[in-house]
Amino acid sequence: MTEHRGTAARRASWLPPVPLIGAKILDLRKRSILMAVTAAFTVGLPVIFYGIRIIYHLSDPARYGPAGTPSAFATTVTLMAEFGFIAAVALGATAGSDDLADGMFRHLVITGRSRLALYLARIPAGLSILLVLAALGFSVAALVTGFLNDPHAPGALTPSAGSLAGAGVWLELYLVIGFTVGLGLGAAMGQRTVPVVLLIVLEIIVTPALADHAIPYFVNVERLFVGVAMDQLQPAVLAGAVHVGPTGGKFQIPPMPVWAMAAVIAGWIIGWQVVGAWKMATRDA
Amino acid sequence: MTTVSERGAAPPPHSGEPGRWAVEVHGLTKRFGARTAVDAVDLLVPRGSAFGYLGPNGAGKTTLIRALLGLTRADSGTISLLGFPVPGERGRALTQVGAIVDEPRFHGHLTGRENLKILSAARGGDAGRRIAPALERTRLTQRADDKVSTYSMGMRQRLGLASCMLADPQLLVLDEPMNGLDPAGMHETREIIRGLVEEGRTVMLSSHLLAEVERTCDQIAIVDRGRVIRQGPIGELTAQAEAAVEVQCADPANAARALGGPEFASRITVTQDGLNIELRGGPARQQAAEINRRLATAGIAVHGLRLARASLEDWFLSVTSRLGEEQ
Repeated sequence: MTEHRGTAARRASWLPPVPLIGAKILDLRKRSILMAVTAAFTVGLPVIFYGIRIIYHLSDPARYGPAGTPSAFATTVTLMAEFGFIAAVALGATAGSDDLADGMFRHLVITGRSRLALYLARIPAGLSILLVLAALGFSVAALVTGFLNDPHAPGALTPSAGSLAGAGVWLELYLVIGFTVGLGLGAAMGQRTVPVVLLIVLEIIVTPALADHAIPYFVNVERLFVGVAMDQLQPAVLAGAVHVGPTGGKFQIPPMPVWAMAAVIAGWIIGWQVVGAWKMATRDA
Repeated sequence: MTTVSERGAAPPPHSGEPGRWAVEVHGLTKRFGARTAVDAVDLLVPRGSAFGYLGPNGAGKTTLIRALLGLTRADSGTISLLGFPVPGERGRALTQVGAIVDEPRFHGHLTGRENLKILSAARGGDAGRRIAPALERTRLTQRADDKVSTYSMGMRQRLGLASCMLADPQLLVLDEPMNGLDPAGMHETREIIRGLVEEGRTVMLSSHLLAEVERTCDQIAIVDRGRVIRQGPIGELTAQAEAAVEVQCADPANAARALGGPEFASRITVTQDGLNIELRGGPARQQAAEINRRLATAGIAVHGLRLARASLEDWFLSVTSRLGEEQ
């Protein structure tokens, strides 16, 4: 038998070690259905969308314009944000609850590893999968927009690299919110189905409904919804998107200052992490 | 040698001392609302022993183990694992502890080896290098790369044991490790546990399977309704139990009269070819000799006399109130 005292202090640390993050990545990436949905909503969506547009354009250029118009870019990225948010929530809720659901949480706690470290390891693990896939999907959209556009057509000026990058950062931030809120809620509730349903309802029904109606004396409460803040933070290059959903994307909430948007977004991300980590640290294993 | 004790008081544990006890618990109480699951338990598990924690279902065995490992907070009492107070130095204690609590469950979508990789990553240190030996020792190497969802209950139990080995543990706490195992699986698990004890490790296992505990362990504690009612070496404890003397003799009815109502017999049953005498307790060999002497004095020919020692099961039934009532 060996002496273990050297590792005890490291295991008490709240910082997750790289192998623990790698272990969580292994757990998540081996969930084939979850990975298929995440890949479909992040990479698959722009590939199919632009693939169809390219085929149409090649088959009848006179009738169908180039695939990479700014409008197509805005629509693609907006769809990626909406569907990607759902995938992000599912990934986050799974990361937050699957150890509990599968009975592994107890084994992990018995290792003596800090529960906070066990929780925090899920953040880089899940985001490393999600953001890489989203970046790949976004790259498809950006490349098609950059190279398969007709900038001389009316209203089809190719967006600048800065605008494209801004849209990419906005998209990734949207997915980070979805993942982290799903993670915190999943860890707090100890399951993934209810958090996923709740956040889909929030994203697809509650937020657009609130954003579409500026209710007197209630506007500041409406602004506390993260979707409202993210909509106001949306880059101008995405303004031409063709929206799906009940509101058609016509948000009516008066603009809010950038610091307020940042505070709302940070509050949602950090707040749910505090809830999830607290529940994980205090839960009976 | 542990002395047989009944909830005796003992000094509080000290931090990290390489003392005599692998597990030392004093006055541990855990309540769930109005129900007391663990009631002022004192427990002393000697280092290097195979210790059985015996009790009927619902007696509070798993709750005590969960409190020992810091998986749930006790309401009162002190716990020391390998000399480290829990929960104060729980992390240090658990570096040297492997445990299975309740049914061993793992990520079903991952292989056995991948599950162990995750647990070794959480353990850190050299745990990763122990995966292959642990799989080998639990005879899971051939199936290590199959998904756990395809494993039988027995294989999951063995994977649980393998996960314990990752700690290179001084103490293993196994909650019902024989559950769901067929006789061959029980035999294998017993061999593994005995092997671990022979290496100087301490194994504490909870069970309601009395025969398995009798075969596997050298020390036991009996828990009933949340309280430890006896603990000590199995041989010493069962020696306190009632034994019986089976006498084959001529004229059993006269023999029974000759014995009268001896103070050492709780019941005398006349059978076709003799007597069955249930002893009240105490030194059974001397009492058997006394029976033989009295029968000989009365002129009754004794053809055979056999001392039947109570099994752990007999003794367990006699000391646990619930099963005794049900019987």
